[in-house]
Amino acid sequence: MSLFDKFKPLVEARASLGETGPAPIATPIERVLSATRGMIDDREVVLAGTNNYLGLTFHPEVIAAGREALESLGTGTTGSRMANGSYAGHRALEGDLAAAFGWPGAIVFSTGYQANLGTLSGLAGSDDYLLVDSDSHASIYDGCRLSSAQTIRFRHNDPDNLDRRLERLGDDAKRALVVVEGLYSMLGDQPPLAEFVEVKNRHGAWLLVDEAHSFGVFGEHGLGLTEQEGLLHEVDFIVGTFSKSLAGIGGFCVSPHPELELLRLASRPYIFTASPSPTMMASTRKALELVVNGQDLRARLHDNIQRLYRGAAALGLTMGSTEPGPVAAIILPDRPTAIAYWHGLLDAGVYANLMIPPATPAGTNLLRISLSAAHTPDDIDRIVDALNLLRAAA
Amino acid sequence: MTSIDSTTKRAINDALETALPEIENPDWDAALTSGVGLDSVQIMNLVMEIEDNLDLSVPVDVLAEVKTLNELALRLDALKGATES
Repeated sequence: MSLFDKFKPLVEARASLGETGPAPIATPIERVLSATRGMIDDREVVLAGTNNYLGLTFHPEVIAAGREALESLGTGTTGSRMANGSYAGHRALEGDLAAAFGWPGAIVFSTGYQANLGTLSGLAGSDDYLLVDSDSHASIYDGCRLSSAQTIRFRHNDPDNLDRRLERLGDDAKRALVVVEGLYSMLGDQPPLAEFVEVKNRHGAWLLVDEAHSFGVFGEHGLGLTEQEGLLHEVDFIVGTFSKSLAGIGGFCVSPHPELELLRLASRPYIFTASPSPTMMASTRKALELVVNGQDLRARLHDNIQRLYRGAAALGLTMGSTEPGPVAAIILPDRPTAIAYWHGLLDAGVYANLMIPPATPAGTNLLRISLSAAHTPDDIDRIVDALNLLRAAA
Repeated sequence: MTSIDSTTKRAINDALETALPEIENPDWDAALTSGVGLDSVQIMNLVMEIEDNLDLSVPVDVLAEVKTLNELALRLDALKGATES
């Protein structure tokens, strides 16, 4: 009898992924050369599984901003925002985020995971309700667990199903926070946001949109699906991450409600952790500026998205989403096929993500390709050519 | 032993057929994970189907507390009672 006995199924699952060649899960990337190139197993590969949607990780202005802060302010804050960890840079980034949305305030968290944890657990108390899409990211589920609110799931992307659940709550629906994502990271699909807004308005509920994967990608200023759909005036909270389009690490919550500030007093994942490094605040401020004014970057990203989706459609591949987006999830019939595709792509010099149950919805086995504005048309063609060879060999 | 309401039993059986057709005659006293062999996502999908069948919302924390189909059925009966009272 050991504390480690319970991990046996996980060890068996890992072993089922194969023991030869680079591991498809937690793949060691020996060196990153650029936003779209890295070294794996001593070979240079195209990075197509990195969430680096706008390709800003090596942008010279972003690096210069981080370097300047590193040299002038040191490596870390060594403390919480509630103690010694609130520098001018933290407040400045919060001001920049609020200004981008035209809202009164924003709160920065140390990671995107903590942004959901801190926002959900802080906002929803024991008399409140969290209604979450069933395909929600683990950080949303964990935020619900940390909160003392009652958590109820509704069917993925199904406003009618949400409607029934809010109906059952009756007047209590006014204390319900509905949580959806702007882009779901496994299948790459988007929610019918306008329909969700209509339902939550009818019941007087609140709405939080997690734009982790959609921030930087959609909308004139890259603020996400909510901006693209013209619904910024209809939502109560937007959560996002710095670790995708913003090319760093950290997270945020922004809101039209000035009372968002109160969350700083009550959110344990905000209070009981060290604040993000000054380097990260400075590089993220610069990245945010590039995102908000990054119409050209988004145009390049969307050209790449269209090129990849067109190629996949021509090959007859089944995609996780019919709406093209930066996440291109190819649904494969079973785990061995998905693993074979992953290795086949790597052999062809392309790194993508293998996604398997229980991390995936509906037991799907996925090869997930993340597109970037920094990919060239040749990179996309290389990915499609490799998929074509794999499909022909299957 | 407390008896399970027939509507609840039917809702669970219908949900099993819809959400998990590959599971035949599961043992209602076996652990859903190690005994019946379901993963966490399959359990959540099963419960979502039951919710629709019973027109009932099941809080997510209930899932962490129930280990078997019989335990789930009893919790559903309690939730139904709370809703109807």
